[in-house]
Amino acid sequence: MVKISVLQHDPSSHLPTRPGDPTPISRNLNPNMHPFARARERTRALNAAKLDRIFAKPFVDALEGHVDAVEVLAKQPDSISTVASGSWDGGLIVHNLPQRSRMLHVPEAHKGKVSGICFSENSKLLSCGVDRNVKLWNFDSNGDEPVNVFPGKAAFNSIDHQRSSQLFATASNLVQVWDETKSAPISNLTLPTSTETVTSVRFNLSETSILASVGSDRSFCLYDIRTGKAERRVIMQMRSNALAWSPTMPTSVLLASEDHNLYTFDIRHLNAPSNIYKAHVAAVMSCDWSPTGTEFVSGGWDRTVRIWKTGQGHTPEVYHTKRMQRVTSTLFTTDARFVLSGSDDGNVRIWKAKASEKLGIVTARERAAIEYRGSLVDRWKMDKEVGKIARQRHLPKPVYSAAKLKTTMLDARRVKEERRRKHTRAGESKPTAERKKVVITEQS
Amino acid sequence: MESLIAKGNAIQRLSNEKQKKFPKAGPSKTSQNDHTFNSVVKHTSLPRSFQNIKSLPDGAVPKHKHIANKKLRTELVRNSEHIATSKALLEDADMLLVEDSGKMEVEGEMERTWRVGQNEIQGGAGQEAARGRKEWKLEGGPYRSRYTRNGRHLAIVGKMGHAATFDWQTGTLHTELQLQETCRDITFLHDQSHFAVAQKKYVFIYDRDGVELHCLKAHIEPTRLEFLPYHWLLASVGNPGYLKYQDTSTGQLVASHRTKLGSCTSMTQNLHNAVIHLGHTNGLVTLWTPNLAHPAVQLLAHLGPVSSLSVDPSDGGRYMATAGKDGTIKVWDCRNWKGCLREWVVRGTGEPEVEWSQRGYLGVTSGGAVNVYSKPTITQPHHASSIHQPPLYLTHPIPHRPLTSLRFCPFQDILTIGHNAGLSSILVPGTGEPNFDSMEADPFEGKKARREREVRSLLDKIQPDMITLDPESIGNLAPQSKLTTATSSELNPAALGSAKSDVTYARLPRYERLKVSGKADLTEEVESDEGEDDNEEGGDNGEKKQKDKEAREKRKMRGKGKSLKRYLRKQRKNVIDPAAVAIRNKLEKQKEERRIAKMQEIGRMEKTKPSALDRFKRTEKD
Repeated sequence: MVKISVLQHDPSSHLPTRPGDPTPISRNLNPNMHPFARARERTRALNAAKLDRIFAKPFVDALEGHVDAVEVLAKQPDSISTVASGSWDGGLIVHNLPQRSRMLHVPEAHKGKVSGICFSENSKLLSCGVDRNVKLWNFDSNGDEPVNVFPGKAAFNSIDHQRSSQLFATASNLVQVWDETKSAPISNLTLPTSTETVTSVRFNLSETSILASVGSDRSFCLYDIRTGKAERRVIMQMRSNALAWSPTMPTSVLLASEDHNLYTFDIRHLNAPSNIYKAHVAAVMSCDWSPTGTEFVSGGWDRTVRIWKTGQGHTPEVYHTKRMQRVTSTLFTTDARFVLSGSDDGNVRIWKAKASEKLGIVTARERAAIEYRGSLVDRWKMDKEVGKIARQRHLPKPVYSAAKLKTTMLDARRVKEERRRKHTRAGESKPTAERKKVVITEQS
Repeated sequence: MESLIAKGNAIQRLSNEKQKKFPKAGPSKTSQNDHTFNSVVKHTSLPRSFQNIKSLPDGAVPKHKHIANKKLRTELVRNSEHIATSKALLEDADMLLVEDSGKMEVEGEMERTWRVGQNEIQGGAGQEAARGRKEWKLEGGPYRSRYTRNGRHLAIVGKMGHAATFDWQTGTLHTELQLQETCRDITFLHDQSHFAVAQKKYVFIYDRDGVELHCLKAHIEPTRLEFLPYHWLLASVGNPGYLKYQDTSTGQLVASHRTKLGSCTSMTQNLHNAVIHLGHTNGLVTLWTPNLAHPAVQLLAHLGPVSSLSVDPSDGGRYMATAGKDGTIKVWDCRNWKGCLREWVVRGTGEPEVEWSQRGYLGVTSGGAVNVYSKPTITQPHHASSIHQPPLYLTHPIPHRPLTSLRFCPFQDILTIGHNAGLSSILVPGTGEPNFDSMEADPFEGKKARREREVRSLLDKIQPDMITLDPESIGNLAPQSKLTTATSSELNPAALGSAKSDVTYARLPRYERLKVSGKADLTEEVESDEGEDDNEEGGDNGEKKQKDKEAREKRKMRGKGKSLKRYLRKQRKNVIDPAAVAIRNKLEKQKEERRIAKMQEIGRMEKTKPSALDRFKRTEKD
């Protein structure tokens, strides 16, 4: 006797029971049933990388209003919409980003350029200028007159307000700490040996009595306003133009340096930076952290804005347009979705922080598809083609050729060093790590 | 300042403390004291893929302890954990396979499955399955046929030009054409909406309703057609002996290979790597990819012409069967072409045809019958009596010679035979894959699903130049760079300066640079190295020592150029040149003198006093 059974599919289990029902899906995960699974996934990854580049339209809007170059940008810490900008002609504008409207517009807030802006509490704003004045504005009442004026002795370069207190610090030829209620500085902070011009000053966001400054004598300095003196000083190879404290890591500070690089320092170990960020081809003029501290933005003299991932010192996202000139100030908005840049052409530009992000409502399916595409690209980024598409960015010709020239020069320098070492007695000269070259001395 | 530093340090300390407190954030711990968790867990269940799988064996997840970078290490560990969990979960995927395959089993010792006739099988089959047994009596014959990938639709073409496509289950006819010229082959394109016919002069593409869409004039006198579904390529070979690939999504002729082997009448594809197999009249079988102008593999399979080929789809395309006009059937292992695994001679005359089914049953036509063989015996090497045929699984006589085509229906236990008087479908239990995957091919798909699949498969189209013999090469590590040749053999920093390595340190790949500077992470290589060492220790100990010595001397010599030694080094060691020999002797002598002088210095050897007879001592010529 032979047992016979012949395969038959029951249509009722494979067809929708009622019209309108979804068709039942059956799966078989045997790899033999899925030929070319890997090759097809690679194709999908390639398409995802291409789609990502197709949708990469980062420019959102430009905020006009300044007659001259935008020197400084500041964000209100507890708002996602309010941003202030000051320009070389002394103009001061408080923008409302979602409405693209101006909450305050003072055409001549200062004589000469506005060199620093910071927000105080209760919709108040401090600005300083090269006219040796710090002015306190109230942008709710819409008055063109400052609420208060604090006269100083030298032209100011930067200002920063302590979070949740009345204190603020200014940078001129020395660092001064002021109280909003007093018209004279309450303390002067300086190292006895320094004859510098301090270019930027920032309060630490966590330990709020700590103050950091960078100066034109290539120094990076740390102060404590409780002791009222400079605690540490680091002299570097080149001067820094701006600094920013990390919002999440209290000991981490970011410096935008004149030597085209950005440096993060862990202030527990000031002998070397914890990371170097190389991509700009001219001096970096400004930097700002995203509120989570996982990213930061920098703007450079090379007319580009770059967005970096913390810890990845190369291949940042790069934004540029034909009409954007030297970027003097950059800002991450407090919702981390946008990046602002103020440049020499007098415009404040709004960019998306993720170039291919879709603005507006994203459905759940769309979100899932976007996430799947993202993980595909991440998984296949080692593939030559996928990686190339995901990595490559178009650069303006001058920037591209400058970068190329820079690589050539650095390469030549390195090879020369290599050859020199090869032809000297063994062990005579050892290669120095790039990070060890940055700091000249550390004083405390 | 100190407070800030303390704050910075505090981050670390806090995390350490936390670790001590909650060594593992597992559900076992939380379930005891977490009220929220307990209240929620009664009413919810996590999907299995999110559940923490406890039963992972210890060795399953490598710890990557040799990686110093903590971030990288955690990422690697997380990756390997993910892989291990997916593997563990994949074992449960059997639950998805709800349907059982068909089968024929004998109970008695003396019974044989091949004695069972079609009537008996039809009687034993279910009502739905029994409908698969069909006879189509058609004129204009011998017929060839082709199923779609989901097995739902059948395309047939007769030699005299009768072509038709239809849904064989419901019996709806899509189109019926009388082309009134010789037609040699037919194939569906990506689905039932298009099909291509190899006609007298050219290949023609028709849509579902039989409207002629394209005439592919590049394909001249085609004899066989194949469609590569994942690459959207229509391959044809014909009497001129050219293999042509046409991209059916863009319309471009992708490649045209001259086989130089004359007219070709047998062709098949390997479903798993999209390689085209051609059988030629001189007994050669050649394997082709679009990006190679010459065959990737060429083997002499038969002494006469090759009449048919087929590649086993069940085992990742591992086995190939060929049939020759000399009446032999051979089964080959595609990984190793050294001789066939099994060969046998079929009875009867004519051109035998072969075809593998989805589950690895081999159908063979011989003379006036179809034989089906089952898997383990046909692929086992069989030396004792090499031309005996393997045990039969099923046989079915067909009186209408010649039998020209064999097709197994995907996802059904059906074999369709094309012959002179039309086509017959027989039931062969066990040949069809019982569980289809709706994402790949679904016999029950509707209009919308078909459209969706068309778009999706177009988006996932693989480029023709990615076809290789080994489909797993995509996404694997690239072969080692040529730059590493200078230093990869030795980890010796001194070797870098030697004349052997002409690649500068700066131009070396990163890993090589690390190796040279002694910072490379060698822990990964340790295991393989150890194995080698064990082997070497017996015989090559002396050689190793000598190598060390050489390296040491090389280091010592750095920066000191001794002209004599340099001269010697430049001479080949195995050339006996009187000058070199003399210099070598001189150096030996000097060395010996130095050694003696040194020994005397430290007092381990007495100074030999010069004797009067020294003057007669022979001095060697310098």
